[in-house]
Amino acid sequence: MRITQNFRHYLRAFLLTELIRGLAVTSRHLFARKITVRYPEEKTPQSPRFRGLHALRRYPNGEERCIACKLCEAVCPAACITIDSYERPDGTRRTSLYDIDLFKCIYCGFCEEACPVDAVVLTRIYEFHYEKRGDNVIHKEQLLGIGDRLEAQIAADRAADAPYR
Amino acid sequence: MATNPKPKTAERLSAAARGEIDRWTAKFPPERRRAALLAALTIVQRENGGWLTPELMEAVADYLDVPPVAVEEVATFYSLYDLAPVGRHKLYVCNSISCWLCGSERLLRHLEQRLGIKAGETTPDGRFTLKQVECLAACGGAPAMMVGGEYHENLTPEKVDTLLARLK
Amino acid sequence: MSANEKAVVPPASDTVTIEVDGRKLQAKKGSMVIQATDAAGIYIPRFCYHAKLPIAANCRMCLVEVEKAPKPMPACATPVAEGMKVFTRSEKARESQKAVMEFLLLNHPLDCPICDQGGECPLQDQALGYGKDDSRYDEAKRVVPDKDIGPLIATFMTRCIHCTRCVRFGQELAGVMEFGALGRGEHTEIRTFLDRSVNSEISGNVIDICPVGALTSKPFQYKARPWELDHHASIAPHDCVGSNIDVQTLRGKVMRVLPRVNESINECWLSDRDRFSYEALNSEERLRVPMIRRNGQWEEVDWRTALDFTVQGLRNVVERHGPDALGALASPIATLEEFYLLAKLVRALGSNNVDHRLRQLDFSDDDRAPLYPALGLTIPELETLDAVLLIGANPRKDQPLLGLRLRKAARRGAAVMAINPLDYDFTHRLAAQVIGKPEEMYAAAAEVVKALGQMGHTAVGEASWIDALSPRPEAERIAQALMQANKKAVLLGPFALGHPQAAGLRAAAQRIAARANATLGVLAEGNSAGAWVAGCVPHRGPLGQPADRGRDTVAMLNEPRKAYLLYGVDPELDVLDGALAAKAMEAAEFVVMASSFKPSVYRSGAIGYAHVLLPLAPFAETAGSFVNTEGRVQRFEAAVKLYGEARPGWKILRVLGDLLGAAGFQYGSLDEVRAELGVPSLFKPTALEAGGAAAPLHTPLADGQLYRIAEVPLYAVDPLVRRAPALQDTADNPRPAARMNASDIKRLNLEPGAAVVVRTVMGEARLQVQTDARVPEGCVLIAAGYPETAMLGAHGPASVVRT
Repeated sequence: MRITQNFRHYLRAFLLTELIRGLAVTSRHLFARKITVRYPEEKTPQSPRFRGLHALRRYPNGEERCIACKLCEAVCPAACITIDSYERPDGTRRTSLYDIDLFKCIYCGFCEEACPVDAVVLTRIYEFHYEKRGDNVIHKEQLLGIGDRLEAQIAADRAADAPYR
Repeated sequence: MATNPKPKTAERLSAAARGEIDRWTAKFPPERRRAALLAALTIVQRENGGWLTPELMEAVADYLDVPPVAVEEVATFYSLYDLAPVGRHKLYVCNSISCWLCGSERLLRHLEQRLGIKAGETTPDGRFTLKQVECLAACGGAPAMMVGGEYHENLTPEKVDTLLARLK
Repeated sequence: MSANEKAVVPPASDTVTIEVDGRKLQAKKGSMVIQATDAAGIYIPRFCYHAKLPIAANCRMCLVEVEKAPKPMPACATPVAEGMKVFTRSEKARESQKAVMEFLLLNHPLDCPICDQGGECPLQDQALGYGKDDSRYDEAKRVVPDKDIGPLIATFMTRCIHCTRCVRFGQELAGVMEFGALGRGEHTEIRTFLDRSVNSEISGNVIDICPVGALTSKPFQYKARPWELDHHASIAPHDCVGSNIDVQTLRGKVMRVLPRVNESINECWLSDRDRFSYEALNSEERLRVPMIRRNGQWEEVDWRTALDFTVQGLRNVVERHGPDALGALASPIATLEEFYLLAKLVRALGSNNVDHRLRQLDFSDDDRAPLYPALGLTIPELETLDAVLLIGANPRKDQPLLGLRLRKAARRGAAVMAINPLDYDFTHRLAAQVIGKPEEMYAAAAEVVKALGQMGHTAVGEASWIDALSPRPEAERIAQALMQANKKAVLLGPFALGHPQAAGLRAAAQRIAARANATLGVLAEGNSAGAWVAGCVPHRGPLGQPADRGRDTVAMLNEPRKAYLLYGVDPELDVLDGALAAKAMEAAEFVVMASSFKPSVYRSGAIGYAHVLLPLAPFAETAGSFVNTEGRVQRFEAAVKLYGEARPGWKILRVLGDLLGAAGFQYGSLDEVRAELGVPSLFKPTALEAGGAAAPLHTPLADGQLYRIAEVPLYAVDPLVRRAPALQDTADNPRPAARMNASDIKRLNLEPGAAVVVRTVMGEARLQVQTDARVPEGCVLIAAGYPETAMLGAHGPASVVRT
């Protein structure tokens, strides 16, 4: 066994086969079609599972989905979600505070997984910035606003992913 | 500091009813007055035209020295007590397994159709109250129905019709 | 291996050996399998079984396989037998547990995300541990309408699995069966009679024992999830029991209070007062910053200014009028350390006018008083008593958990007897009872002394007026029952302490106890025991050391002082004679109020008479110790951060002492205070010295007058409780009214609901008439502790006239 192994090793070393194979890769890419994406004019395609900026969704009748169960807050590994709950005058359980600290968030998507009512979702937005200290914490109204604006996309993405879940 | 602890409500019972209940309580040790509960409720129900009001249940509770809710437990458990006004004739259709297998459901539908009411309701003329009850212990004669304390067994829709015709 | 070790020990005659999952266990004869496994740490799932409740065996979750039994058996209702082999995790046991779980979940809604029980729910946990992955039930689930059963308990009856723990709790422990399982089979519902509210003083415990989210806390509803709460061990301040509590907080706010298990104090229960009083901590009425009144104007200031102002004010008064012009009143719910420092501060200023007994009227036996008002027994020993004489005591409402113990004794056959001002609604039979106005109570107690003397026991000299009595049959019966019993106690309750002739009543109780060879126990308010040992009484220093006699509460108010230091006190409401207190405060030159709450115009006139308001941290925000009625010292730490600028009382007093130039106030920590006082873990109770009992004073009533009984209801006892909204809304806390029995109402030509004006020597109040069968003839019960009635003063003649 060992003798044959050693023999092959030496043969390959002398014939420079590895070098040639490496150069072949290089030369193939030298002539291949270039795939450099000229961001921001060009953008890479996104999966429906893309995990970007958060949003809170509503039901079609306009009622917010979130029921303040705080499972997202509990599951969040970065502890970036802060929720306060209260009883709305109509007797339902709702949030009086839903804050996400985007500096802390690691965009793992656990919050979305944990949500029993598909209220908190991660959208395809990944281009955002803050201009003031404190802007990194986004509040319930902003989250609901993002959800309202992107609901069609969000719903389509969930539908596309549904067969695999 | 409850405002009015232990309201005395036993006076709502008639003297006759109380006398009759006393005959039952006499059969049990004095600290077991609640043993007469079933009899007391039957007596009071009969006197009140076949059903029990919350006030009467409270009165029985007071008279037998048991918590009112314990009386309500008993009154709601047994299907022979009624908690709403009833008709002259109570039709108790057994819904337990033997009768059900022998077609009590068909019987009930038939009755509902004939009387134009659903189970648990009373006909507008105050003649019949139709009720589904738990086992009447007449499995041998399934399907069975109890009307005014009398058993009617091996019933068919036709037999029920003749029976209804007899009851005024 | 442990099985082998166990097997070596020969089984005692009253135990049997059973084998559970291959482990040999010793179990008491007649006990149930689940009790043996619980003791051995083998877990069997259960819903309806609760160690403190009678066994119902209706949930069937605890099914286990028993060798030679054809069917699985419920572990909670299967008695152990010698050589029994039990399998808790065998195929058969698991299958039956799974099947039961599937049945229990048939009608259970899947609303865990909004359910307050979610996260601490036995049904949730056991569904995960012992249930199936999915349900085969796809029919419609049943829906049960929710009930409104009062301000404390929220109901979600669709979630109910009919374990009947709440029903059994009412029957067996609370003593009032309020919940019942109505209906049958699939139509069973847990309800109250006619959906009335649940009024038990310990009703909150059903929230804890409910294994699902059917009964949850209304004040806590949707406020937080159990997993995010921080736990802080603490002690409840509102009664002399010293219940162990778990203060649960979220982001620096107290969210709820639950009991901590302590078998020798509160078991696993908690009174509603201790459970829901936390709401006051988050009250809008909290005092946020120090305030001073300068030139008639209130202004918010910093601590430095407030303290300088206080020191200046106190110094002025002491310089101008002498130290005796200063008086200090402390709330009985302050901590041991606070009492100690307050007394030390007042004494350092040269005054001995310091007291915490705000609801006492008679202090003439102070020199004979024991070290502190003690039960004389341990709390569990109450259950073992054979006879108890309650004097001016209603433990069911005043110390609900002691009431629970006494009820257990009564159910065991103990003769519980009472000499009370009202015919209280006890949850057990009374062997004998005398109801009467205070002087009548005193006479009855004296008659018991006489009756005991007649029973051939050392007829040593009682006061001549006692010897002249001829005991009424009830008094004879009480004496008889006490003599016949083996273990017995005489208990003086808060009403007896506030009796116009409390000293005499105490002396009589002492004589009864001595003659009947019974324990004499005193059930004082809050941390009164702590105040006594800390020297927060005018005639004694710390640990009962003698001190120059100062003025007691009544003396301080009767001859108004020039300056008052009020420590957590609403004078009009916390002092039994609120009118007297208000007058004294108004006459004072300088009033310092250390308080957790802003004085509201509604509650008191403090805005008009106080000069300084120092924000004081209430029990959850400060560390300290409470001494309970057994003498047990229980320390606790702060659970949450201080509200606003509030400071712990001991720090306020420390700095005040320093600024006033008093020696020995340089404490660095609370431990130094404790070390200086010398706090053991248990203060040994001492006995009340025997003393003469003065003849009962007869209060003459003018024609048409009634005797006003001033009782403090359980949700009016201290500033915290009075500001807990849910408790204030309960049936135990009706707005004050002129309560009389039907015959008096008729005699006065009134009717229930009539608007009347009640006049006493102190003042008047406009109230409504209400029928109350508990009130003795010739008396009118008007609760104290409410702003509406504060101006009436304490017990005494009152005229009730239609407006």
